[in-house]
Amino acid sequence: MRTRNIPWAMLRGTVVLLYLFILVPIVITVSVSFNAVNQSKFPPLGFSLRWWADAMSARWLQPLAFSIELGLVAAVLSMLLGMPLAFALVRHRFPGRDALTTLALGPLALPALVTGIGLLQFIHAAGLGFLFGFPTLLIGHVLICLPFSVRTTAISLRAMPPNLELAALSLGATPSTVLREITLPLVKSGVFAGGVFAFIHSFTDYSISLFLSRPGTQPITITILSFLEYGFAPTLAAVAALTLVVPLVLIAIVQRVFRIGDFLYAENARG
Amino acid sequence: MITTSRLRPLLLVALPAAFLFIFFVLPNAFLLAASFLKSDAQMLTDERTLENYGFLFGRPLYRAALLRTFVIGGLVGALVVVLAYPMAFFLARTTSRWKGPLIALALAPLLASVVVRTYGWWVLLNREGALNDLLRALGLTTGPLVMLPSVGAIVVGLTHSLLPFGVLTILSALNGINPNLERAALSLGASRTRTFLNVTLPLSAGGVAGGFLLAFALAISAYATPTILGGPATETMATLIYKFMVSLMDWSIGSALGTILILSSMALIAIGTMLGARRATV
Repeated sequence: MRTRNIPWAMLRGTVVLLYLFILVPIVITVSVSFNAVNQSKFPPLGFSLRWWADAMSARWLQPLAFSIELGLVAAVLSMLLGMPLAFALVRHRFPGRDALTTLALGPLALPALVTGIGLLQFIHAAGLGFLFGFPTLLIGHVLICLPFSVRTTAISLRAMPPNLELAALSLGATPSTVLREITLPLVKSGVFAGGVFAFIHSFTDYSISLFLSRPGTQPITITILSFLEYGFAPTLAAVAALTLVVPLVLIAIVQRVFRIGDFLYAENARG
Repeated sequence: MITTSRLRPLLLVALPAAFLFIFFVLPNAFLLAASFLKSDAQMLTDERTLENYGFLFGRPLYRAALLRTFVIGGLVGALVVVLAYPMAFFLARTTSRWKGPLIALALAPLLASVVVRTYGWWVLLNREGALNDLLRALGLTTGPLVMLPSVGAIVVGLTHSLLPFGVLTILSALNGINPNLERAALSLGASRTRTFLNVTLPLSAGGVAGGFLLAFALAISAYATPTILGGPATETMATLIYKFMVSLMDWSIGSALGTILILSSMALIAIGTMLGARRATV
């Protein structure tokens, strides 16, 4: 339906304003990091890279590296757990399937902050205190990543023409050959996309980590949050902008391998 | 390829199901149980009590915080759908060759953590902030306007953070509408406005309800935005949870607050299902 008239022009104007609303605060955060003074002023007073130099110190790079490591391990583990789960949910009918579907999406449906305090108390009460630090954070992050990996794998399994597998089987391939030669290659990009979403979700999360991180094992979001209590120094803006670089670079690399835009779009078309 | 084997699904789901049960179901059950236990000297005891809930609902200070949280949730939900709708409608109907990149740009803020997104609002709204500088330069105000900390700032910050979720939900609802229905209305002589009001809007109502409830649920459990843009007078459930769990070490009250949040989220999901928002599925 082509609509090129006055209401459409008004709509376009509104949408331009909405894009400004979405992007301006992020642009402000980034530009504040170039202030020449030790104040978070916008527009920046002068120009300097000293806050970026500050941001490059071990104090900030260590939690940043920690976040990347945590996100990578959590994404891989959530894919390893999520793939078989998605296979079973899409390809099999079995008792408890609906309940398991709800459960698999549960960590996304219930507030992660509360999941965090539940885990904290549970691990404490179960006498598993030695797990505090990286292992507990990892458990929490795998939990919040799992819905993404299950969902993206399920989407690519459904999008796959079912007859390909039947054809291979009828031509005499064994089920394991079919899995290796047909199914896995076809769902590869979906699985990969799920991993990328999972990583970004883990990397930008603060809710699950809020109660599970300890000094020394702190994701960058928690480090920034705890420093905000002492004020809004331009260094923090530089660090915040630095955290923006990681997912952007990742998306840029992934775009070369396959078009994640298609995937996102396919996903939201499904709802 | 639907297999009839009964053993295979069991083998496939055993590990992930066990993981979810141990680290998701049990901790939530534990949280629920702890909310009915008394805390003494910063330790959970075995004594069962309803006092934790009595404490939260009984004291005006905490009752106000609970109410404030839901008011924030409702306002954010409403603002998100009001702002997301025109955007989603534009993205669904535009024939521009930039459609793909425009959708990506609308969702791009999801790549930035909430901390990054909220920091910008602080820079804009604080006493010495950009907005006050601008107002002074224009001669509209003499002294600085105090916009932080405030509930209004929290609402603006959360609306900004959650807008992409609203756009996604409404966009998918609009994409699901059969375009022939709109063409039929137009060909039968309905104006564009009438077609929109009588056909498009009702058919996308599920997406609107879904977007509202999703934003509502995410807003009431947000911690970073109320911390950065709020203060002691604008406590919400999430900031109270942090206070009780970390500063006061009172896990009973913390668990009771967490339980209220979980039950609220579940209620919102149930309302959404009743209102015809599509059920979450894999």
